[in-house]
Amino acid sequence: MATHSIAFHERVDRALDDGSLQTALSRATDRFVTNRANALALVDDFDDLRARGRAIRASALAQLDDVLVRLSERIEARGGQVFWASDGDAARQYIVELARARNVRTIVKSKSMASEEIHLNDALEAAAFTVVETDLGEYIIQLAGETPSHIIAPCIHKTREEISELFQQHLGMPATDDIPTMTRTARTVLRQQFLRADMGISGVNFGVADAGAVVVVENEGNARLTTTAPRIHVAVMGIERVCERLEDLGVLLQLLARSATGQKLSVYTSILSGPRRADEPDGPDEFHLILLDNGRSQIMGGDYAEALLCIRCGACLNACPVYQSIGGHAYGGVYSGPIGAILTPLLQPELRDVHKLPQASSLCGACQSACPVKIAIPDMLLRLRADAVAAGKADAIERIAMAGWSQAMANPALYRAGGKLASLGTRLLAREGRIGWLPPPLDQWTRQRDFPPFAPRSFTELWAERQRRSAGDGQ
Amino acid sequence: MNDAREAMLGRIRQGLANNRAFLEREALAAPHTPPPFVHPAGDDDLAERFAAELRKLAAHAHLCADHDAARAVLCDILVAAEVRRTLSWALPAIELPGLADDLMRIGVERHDVSIAPTAAERTAHLHELEPATACISGVDALIAESATIVLLSGRGRPRLASLLAPCYIAIARRDQIVRGLGQAIARLQQHAAPDLFADHSSLTFITGPSRTADIEMTLALGVHGPRDVHVIIYG
Ligand code: SF4
Repeated sequence: MATHSIAFHERVDRALDDGSLQTALSRATDRFVTNRANALALVDDFDDLRARGRAIRASALAQLDDVLVRLSERIEARGGQVFWASDGDAARQYIVELARARNVRTIVKSKSMASEEIHLNDALEAAAFTVVETDLGEYIIQLAGETPSHIIAPCIHKTREEISELFQQHLGMPATDDIPTMTRTARTVLRQQFLRADMGISGVNFGVADAGAVVVVENEGNARLTTTAPRIHVAVMGIERVCERLEDLGVLLQLLARSATGQKLSVYTSILSGPRRADEPDGPDEFHLILLDNGRSQIMGGDYAEALLCIRCGACLNACPVYQSIGGHAYGGVYSGPIGAILTPLLQPELRDVHKLPQASSLCGACQSACPVKIAIPDMLLRLRADAVAAGKADAIERIAMAGWSQAMANPALYRAGGKLASLGTRLLAREGRIGWLPPPLDQWTRQRDFPPFAPRSFTELWAERQRRSAGDGQ
Repeated sequence: MNDAREAMLGRIRQGLANNRAFLEREALAAPHTPPPFVHPAGDDDLAERFAAELRKLAAHAHLCADHDAARAVLCDILVAAEVRRTLSWALPAIELPGLADDLMRIGVERHDVSIAPTAAERTAHLHELEPATACISGVDALIAESATIVLLSGRGRPRLASLLAPCYIAIARRDQIVRGLGQAIARLQQHAAPDLFADHSSLTFITGPSRTADIEMTLALGVHGPRDVHVIIYG
């Protein structure tokens, strides 16, 4: 079932009731968090690297018009073709027509959030092309007829038994839940697709304007095969995913790999600049770059332009206590977690309940601390909530709460006082540390689950103390 | 070029009118230059450092005194893995004198990659290459602190020769090692100024064996690319 047709609170309830999902999520996110922390500890000055990364991304965005023109002219000069796609429709149509014109039958794909955002596979399959996802996690998701649940680990919601079942059913694999055997099975099946495919479609991690190149980062090798074996390579890139110079990658790749998986560099980084040259023995004969707007230029002019700095590392998802509990599907869109709660309402406004996504955050600030380009995620989530209230999209209770909240936000003394009052009030109601009942209309919440008492000390108080404590140790 | 280009650029400029000042301020908040390397540098030997980092990734490093020793190690690896067919860079590009004779002596066939223009020929050629069990290439640089192999594609330097087979062997000279990614990029740009990509459609960084943790976060090697990675360093 398409999860985005279900109401947001139902998706959340389902996720919270799913015990194996909870285990998988906490195992995966814990692992990512630990790996990331270990990797950062080794770096001389990671905060300096973050500051440079943020400056590099901001600089490219500040002259985005010029940077995109430079990128496209360079790529065209190398024999590549560039298509400017205002929206998903335009991009889908271009790729479908290209595939028809070139007599394409089989298309292999490596991971691309942008093509998921525009539901490219549906369009290609409707046009009768065979489309094969080749990233192992994405392939499993495709066999199951589902959507990814994590930017970096698309199928962390599935157990090995479920995956074994799928492989037995679809690939005729003998019964086993041995992970190396399952991996080998997928390799063999997918290798045949690579050899046969006429077109490879990839995403893009960074477009490099002055080099006239796109960067594709991965660990499996499926993106290298996708961009090397078939005669046509189509790269789909959101227009904000750019930097100016090749040397910028000396900062961005280091940030991306460490923040995403804790690796020093991802296993494969492919920097691709047009089709193969006349004397090169392999590589695609045709190279097409799709520059996808689909709402991004709109974001650029609005109050959430900072979200365009995102390099899609997934660190904010792993750091987020809400994501750890509900997983990616509850968010309903392609982009999940804290950054997804911002991007999905802006990039996929057609989805149900998207205005509620900014509520899926405890505003604890863990996302911003983890973000390699220091995006002020909690601040933006707060403003999005206020926007939803202003637009009359919020529920009654939420409107009242937000009205109070915005008064309090405008008046720090009132905010602190309100917090203290709530802290006191909820502690009075608590039994053994949990609150089983709240007065109406808040009983809607406690009917479903316990409400934790407000912390005796507010986040602002704790944060201020933490800042004081860590001021000395360079945090 | 298509009609949407001007419309998109127009919308971007319109958007920037509101936020350019913010973005420019952020752009000026820190320098943009990449650090030459990011880990604290001791007085460690770069080849030793590369080897230690590569072993952490479950790959194999071989430090050899000279090119004769390097060839001997290469042959040992191929014989031990019972390799019969290889894909490789053109031998002159690997710069290891005597390699052709050695391969012949141990009965290893070397296939040239040469993708043909039509779809059918292309698929047929890929099927011919597929049974190879080892890939062999030279390198353009090695990065010590991350154990990364740097490769430019080009004439006699197929991309598939580091990708298609389950075993991959890269051969490098000691003087090709740099400490960090920043240095590697700077060096490449110097060598190929003014346009690194004039004769090369791809620049690839390889850091360890192909891997995935997509099933229950359990590490599995060799999912699409090579599982066994060897780097032979000589000189
Ligand atoms: S918002 Fe920051 S932490 Fe989250 S995915 Fe984007 S870059 Fe990574």
